[in-house]
Amino acid sequence: MSSILVKNEARLGLKLVAPAVGIIGLLVIYPILFNVYLSFFDVQLNGSKTFVGLDNYTDLLGNPRYYHSIGVSVIYLIGTVVGTTVLGLAASILMNQEFRFRNLARGLILLPYFAPVISVVFGWQFIFDPVNGIYNHVVVDVLHLTDTRENLIGNPDSALFVVILFDIWKHFPIAYLLFLAKLQSVPKDLYEAAAIDGQNAWGRFWHVTLPELRFVIATVVLLRIIWNLNRFEDVYLLAPNVETLPIFTYYQAFAGIVDQGGAAAISVIQLLVLVGLIWLYVRKVLKW
Amino acid sequence: MKHSLLVTRAALVNGLLISSLASAATVEFWTAQTQTDRLKNIELLASTFEALNDGVTVNVVAVDENEMATQMAAAVAAGTTPQLIEVNSEIIMALGEEGIVDSKTHQGVINDIGKSRFHKGALTTLTSPSGDYYGLPYHGWIQGIWYRKDWFDEKGLAAPNTWENIETAAKTLTDKANNQYGILVGTKQDSYTEQVFTQLALSNNAAEFDAKGNLIFNSPATLETIQYYNTLAKYNPPGPQNWRARDYYLQGKMAMFFYSTYIMDDLSLAEVAKGSLSSENFKELSGGTFDPNLVKNTAFAPIITHKSAASYGTLSGLVALKTNNADDTQATKDFIEFMYDPASYITFLHMAPGGMNPMLKGIAEDPAYLEDPNGVFTLYGADKMKQIVSGFDDIRSFSVVKGKTFPASGAFFAKSVIPRMIYDVTIENKDPQAALDSAEAEMKTIMGE
Repeated sequence: MSSILVKNEARLGLKLVAPAVGIIGLLVIYPILFNVYLSFFDVQLNGSKTFVGLDNYTDLLGNPRYYHSIGVSVIYLIGTVVGTTVLGLAASILMNQEFRFRNLARGLILLPYFAPVISVVFGWQFIFDPVNGIYNHVVVDVLHLTDTRENLIGNPDSALFVVILFDIWKHFPIAYLLFLAKLQSVPKDLYEAAAIDGQNAWGRFWHVTLPELRFVIATVVLLRIIWNLNRFEDVYLLAPNVETLPIFTYYQAFAGIVDQGGAAAISVIQLLVLVGLIWLYVRKVLKW
Repeated sequence: MKHSLLVTRAALVNGLLISSLASAATVEFWTAQTQTDRLKNIELLASTFEALNDGVTVNVVAVDENEMATQMAAAVAAGTTPQLIEVNSEIIMALGEEGIVDSKTHQGVINDIGKSRFHKGALTTLTSPSGDYYGLPYHGWIQGIWYRKDWFDEKGLAAPNTWENIETAAKTLTDKANNQYGILVGTKQDSYTEQVFTQLALSNNAAEFDAKGNLIFNSPATLETIQYYNTLAKYNPPGPQNWRARDYYLQGKMAMFFYSTYIMDDLSLAEVAKGSLSSENFKELSGGTFDPNLVKNTAFAPIITHKSAASYGTLSGLVALKTNNADDTQATKDFIEFMYDPASYITFLHMAPGGMNPMLKGIAEDPAYLEDPNGVFTLYGADKMKQIVSGFDDIRSFSVVKGKTFPASGAFFAKSVIPRMIYDVTIENKDPQAALDSAEAEMKTIMGE
């Protein structure tokens, strides 16, 4: 090809990507840069700014609640990711067996995932209401397991576990869906061969199912970590006193009059964490 | 029917007073009244005003009170600031300090209506330290303890108007084994908690600021109030609670609770209470039936006395915001004055009889006002109404000390400093002094900004 053609093609290429570059620049790059800029200022609503250097960052990093929320987030992440993966795996293996009404059962399992968050949150709050809820009614009035009524969602010690349980219940179907799709493509002869080799059910799971599912499991785990690191609505609606990182950010930045400088500083730090995760995602998930 | 008559009267009166405005102007009005029926009412008022003023458009936008500050920040940053908002006094003071409020328009309205017609305490609440009006008081409520008079009488308990009486009654009437609770005080990290705490703190002479503006929150009086509050919280329904738990009272599972005059509506009318037990307030729904004798058996203790007598209430105001358009500003001023016209004012206040009380003198005695569509005032009587409303001449709060206002108090409120302190003590079992220390530190940080 002549050099003119190459040049022309390159020029055309540039013209073709220009709108996309422009839009990304305007809607993604510019806000990020402006946000970094704002994080060094004390910003008033009327737009006046005072340069405060790293004050916004030192305020944040000196706040004990920030570290507490990181701790809560870690427990929340481990609990939910392990829980959804294990439950999703168990459900998918069960649903991969032949039985009557299998399709109906497969569909029903997906319900929690598709139900709107707000409605199931209210359902859970009804169940655990300390005075009128069915949970306390059964535990205290019917089974007489204890005399004291508990507010499981309100009590900060149990709230985190209710929130984890809620997330597992709500989101395991997506893990189940991905696992089941893969399981259906595992050739039957692999299981037959393993059986001939004398493997029992556990051995077949360990030596056939798990290796076949390896990449799907890794993908699910990674995706769940990325989603749940930023999970806001489930936690905030169900138990706003469980301060995971996104909830802490919300209280810190957006409760009351917006502290725009402080909020910018928090989001810069969050951005760094997210960039790390995106890098991991691109390197691992997209390569599989 | 009555509403439309009132509005027609308003139309006639205003039609004579206000000559039509010349050019096109827009008033975007953000109201904190998000319920559909209230919005319809406000829109009716807005279209009446539009009909009277050629070329003026009034856009009514409902914004949740808790979202107001955030939405304002976004709107100001985007250059789409509304011309007028209606929101509570704490947010008004905080917005005033942000330099986006049009005090000149407020001054103009006060000059036109007459300063002496406003309840003094209400106007002071919205005055800046330098004497500017950050907003115009529009409606307000008084808080107190509503209690089961029949249960109190049965046990020989005195009315809950002192610390001792409240504690004794709460203790006596709590029977957790039978799912009965003595009292409701706020323990969630939201504004209800601050409202309950404020009244108790004021009755113990605790304050955020002294008259010179020094932060004196970390005091023995505050500490004592926190400890007392913690004691009361033991007789609460389990776990963190807020005002929604008042439905336990309507179900007969609670002996007393702190609440505003907004409850008058709910208590008076079986129908209204049934609505409250089923629709929006999902959480505490029991399916229990409404007790028609509840009004008769309920009494109200608005004043709590310990070291001093304290009543507590708060108000919402109208706030004009700075615009670049003189026509918009003029239209906004005219709209505000229209909203204070007795006919439209009463139409607005009747959206929540008892809950929304007038800030202008004379309205509470107006026969049109006393004939609310739900018949609430007939039940309570004109004298009682006048008494409730007169509280606004001498209203106490953390942000007003000896006639001086301290807007930082609004910022503390907006950041939920006190509710978080109370939550830490009552739910997380944090040491009261330690919680008070960190609340004070947080207040200092906010003031330093």
